[in-house]
Amino acid sequence: METFINSRMTISEFIAAIFDKRETAGVAAMAKLPSGNKAAYTLFTDKKSAENSIPFFPAMPVNAAKAVSKFTRQASPSKEVAMFLRPCELRALTELVKIKQAGLDNLLLISFDCGGVFPFKEISISDEEKLKSYVDAFKNGKNCEGIRPVCAACTKFVPKENQADIVISLIGRKPHDPLVMSFPTEKGKNTAKALGIDLPDKTHTSPVAPSTAVESLFKEREEKEKKLKEKIKTGFADTGGLVSMFDRCISCHACSYVCPICYCKNCYFDSQTFEYFSESYFIRMGEKGALRLPVDRTLFHVGRLSHMGLSCVACGMCEDACPVNIPVSQIFKTIGSEAQAVFDYIPGKDLNEALPLLTYSESELETFED
Amino acid sequence: MTDNGYEPKIVAFLCNWCTFTAADLAGTSRIKYQPNIRIIKVMCSSRVDPVFILKALLDGADGVLIGGCAPGDCHYSKGNFYARRKVALAKTLAQNMGLDTDRIRLSWIPASEGPKFAGVVNEFTEKIKKIGANPAGQEVFI
Repeated sequence: METFINSRMTISEFIAAIFDKRETAGVAAMAKLPSGNKAAYTLFTDKKSAENSIPFFPAMPVNAAKAVSKFTRQASPSKEVAMFLRPCELRALTELVKIKQAGLDNLLLISFDCGGVFPFKEISISDEEKLKSYVDAFKNGKNCEGIRPVCAACTKFVPKENQADIVISLIGRKPHDPLVMSFPTEKGKNTAKALGIDLPDKTHTSPVAPSTAVESLFKEREEKEKKLKEKIKTGFADTGGLVSMFDRCISCHACSYVCPICYCKNCYFDSQTFEYFSESYFIRMGEKGALRLPVDRTLFHVGRLSHMGLSCVACGMCEDACPVNIPVSQIFKTIGSEAQAVFDYIPGKDLNEALPLLTYSESELETFED
Repeated sequence: MTDNGYEPKIVAFLCNWCTFTAADLAGTSRIKYQPNIRIIKVMCSSRVDPVFILKALLDGADGVLIGGCAPGDCHYSKGNFYARRKVALAKTLAQNMGLDTDRIRLSWIPASEGPKFAGVVNEFTEKIKKIGANPAGQEVFI
């Protein structure tokens, strides 16, 4: 367990110091939009404009891992860029690195305890009451009313060691107080040195005690997670259940476009494979006497789950994007984790752990034969 | 044919080197087996994407059989180990999404074992007949 220390810097001082003392080329974090009400993930290259950043703002207009992927896929930046990522974004990034869709060279990854985010449509910077109750809930280690359902049921809200270079502890604390941080990696430790933060090996620095609020939030969310999974599983009781779970779907495929794990430029489900001669519709119809058009709507979801479910980090982007309010991310979280359990795989846990379908052992899974 | 006359449709993905060859051998040896399977030859059982299995079930196939070389005997040395993982994924998804996993079967049938192939097909067909028709085949709005 890494020790946390008081950096004696607020978040804005910390960002300024990264520019000044670490000579970082850029910082990526959430920022206020000029229209004033919404926020967007933004890359800053100068200190002055970075003053507009609000790294802890509880919204996720894009899963930052997707932004990092686009930023680094062709080549890594030539100079260091510091990027703020929530724990689920960090896990998604790990999965993307595994499938060679992102690079980590010259990135300084900064993560923080996550209190969850609100559905993007439902949160504004001017929404002071909501934001205040968010901060209060966070301080007390409770879920805030109105956050994404998968966030309220997320137990992986503390960034794991060695996933990030710098980890900021927020739960049980106030976001505008001086930051309590840990520096798990070599890169993180060097940053601390450059910023003049005393690491715990110095005798006059005493580590900060972990907050009990983390424990209580974990318990609340574990309970929520159990209930969420039960609810989804009941929905999929039989084939009729499967049909009704997705029967509102308008086949816009927005869930796959915002998904950080769905990286394919040409989605298999948009391909020629799923275009048929009209005659084959009659064959497919068999004795049903009717057929909903266009076809393969349910297959898209079931198939997408089979393609990315093992790497699903349950960030909730899909559900946010769904125009017809299908609980997509609750479904993918529930069923994805069942599939992950079969292979004893936790997406985003370890960069060196092979993807389940790209590895095997000779004696395993015998119950699935014959 | 059973009493109610129900004849299931079973999609069979067979690997070129072992199970398909076994099917061929069963034929040339004049071994009779249930005519309910529709064979799709693949070069290796690991070619079978879980989507193939799930699509067959959603489109109303009553059963899906995946046949490959016995572990250790794969023509590509390790393809069938990957296939087993893919089938495990398809079965897990099916189980959690209201589809019947008993309709999916993965069997290792070596090229020289025509009678074994016929046996597996007969056994699986009987099992599917007992389970009955796939309800997905009657779903209009799937």
